[in-house]
Amino acid sequence: MRNNLVALLIFAALAASPLVIGSYWTGQLTAYLVYGLLAISLSLVWGYGGILCFGQAMFFGIGGYIMAVLTKGMILPDLTSSYIGLLAAMAGAALFALALGYFLFAGRGISGAYLAIITLAITLVLERLMNNWYALGGYNGLLNVPPIKLTFFGASFELWDRLPTFYAVLGVVTVVYFGTSLLLKSAYGLKLTASRTHPDRLSSLGYSVLSIRLSVFALSAAIAGLAGAIFVTLDGFASPTLIGFTLSTEVLIWVAIGGKEMLLAAFLGAILTRTAESWLSEIFGNYWILILGLTFMVSVVLLPKGLLATPLEWLTKGKGKRSG
Amino acid sequence: MAFLELRSLVKNFDGLRATDNFTLDIAEGSLNALVGPNGCGKSTLFNLITGVLTPDSGEIRFKGQNITRWPPHKIARLGIGRKFQVPAIFEELTVRENLIVAAKNKSQQEIIAEILAQINLTKDPDMLAGELAHGQKQWLEIGMLLAQAPSLILLDEPTAGMTGAETRATADLITRINRERGMTVLVIEHDMGFIEHLACPLHVMSKGQILKSGNFTEIRNDDEVKALYFGQTEAMANA
Repeated sequence: MRNNLVALLIFAALAASPLVIGSYWTGQLTAYLVYGLLAISLSLVWGYGGILCFGQAMFFGIGGYIMAVLTKGMILPDLTSSYIGLLAAMAGAALFALALGYFLFAGRGISGAYLAIITLAITLVLERLMNNWYALGGYNGLLNVPPIKLTFFGASFELWDRLPTFYAVLGVVTVVYFGTSLLLKSAYGLKLTASRTHPDRLSSLGYSVLSIRLSVFALSAAIAGLAGAIFVTLDGFASPTLIGFTLSTEVLIWVAIGGKEMLLAAFLGAILTRTAESWLSEIFGNYWILILGLTFMVSVVLLPKGLLATPLEWLTKGKGKRSG
Repeated sequence: MAFLELRSLVKNFDGLRATDNFTLDIAEGSLNALVGPNGCGKSTLFNLITGVLTPDSGEIRFKGQNITRWPPHKIARLGIGRKFQVPAIFEELTVRENLIVAAKNKSQQEIIAEILAQINLTKDPDMLAGELAHGQKQWLEIGMLLAQAPSLILLDEPTAGMTGAETRATADLITRINRERGMTVLVIEHDMGFIEHLACPLHVMSKGQILKSGNFTEIRNDDEVKALYFGQTEAMANA
């Protein structure tokens, strides 16, 4: 209950922020919200599912490219619906995760550092593939991706302006956050925690650990795919960097700094780190990376639960209970 | 046809034979104990029955079905529950949540309240399981088995680390589970006082095979068992 109250207050503050931060920062914050969505997806699979995916950007990029290809009419000129694009982006990323997950988790399964290395390698392969796939723009990517077009009962509205786009994205992020939180508090959430902490025990109770891992991997990929799909409509541009190593590493740092075992902390970790990056890079130039690195080290060594998760847990957690 | 049939099970680990043509029948509703020195293959046997390991040869039949190479979750769904040697509970979940996960889709409220009473954990069911004392963790794991409600329970050293009073209470609980719930129980244990308290058929295992079977007195007085096993176990000698 206190979890939800704190989250509601934070989302309310985000909703009110355009009144204070002005148009430029509203645009920036919209992109950070999308990164926050990507961080939620990684927190779900890593913090709750115990699957360290070092290539979360691959699902982000897959979602982005599917959205771009569909809404640009590259598959069917008449099929450019944003809704279909968003759904296809989620489904495409989830299906890719299911296929990849089966390869990774079936049998004795791969976990820990090996899993991280393999997912990282797959990301690098996909980034290289997109750089050389000329039908999809190759190194230059796909330009002129149309903005999201919302259609309600025959009336349609394109998300060009910053403010409506911000609120539409915030709406999606809010629904995904509270939906995921609800799921984690259900019986599924218990099974997920159980599969992370003692898979052998869970298996001996009659649960298929493979199914649980596949389901969380696919769900997390769908959320990352959704984030990627929204992202390409903000700048109208899909490029191989969306799918690559850099973004995969960045999202890991955001989530680790925020706190991987708390959706809200991971989400805020992404927003605050990106905001800090904007400010600090103006002041320190490229040296801001050193500050980020130091913050990451402090977080891992002194506050392994995360810089934000620790105070948030203090605010939201009852004695002896895990917070969501 | 026995409830659980273990036929000529062989399992090797890098040249070491953990089970050597192991054969045993377990009748439905029975309570049996398996004893033997460390390394004689007892836990390997449980791993084979529950699908954690696959035998190099031999056959495992449960309720008439050949389950030899089934995955662990499928074997569990058929009705085999297991308590691990080291308490295997979900430490990040509360006591109640551990039981909810174990109870799966069953109507949970009443079952869980009843089990909490049976395992003496009614005081703080919303406590994190990781914060329990060792003996309580053992009891919680037994409680999870009760919630799972399998027809065959395999208990691997259920009283390890327990006090004398807890050990006696655990023996009473296991006997009750067997008699009142009709669950078939196979237990591995080193504590011979506990085994005597169970008052059940006893199988002595040595070098991956059954050396002798009988009741507690027969086993205690058997010269071959004394020579091969009891001589090494002070606890048995004092029992």
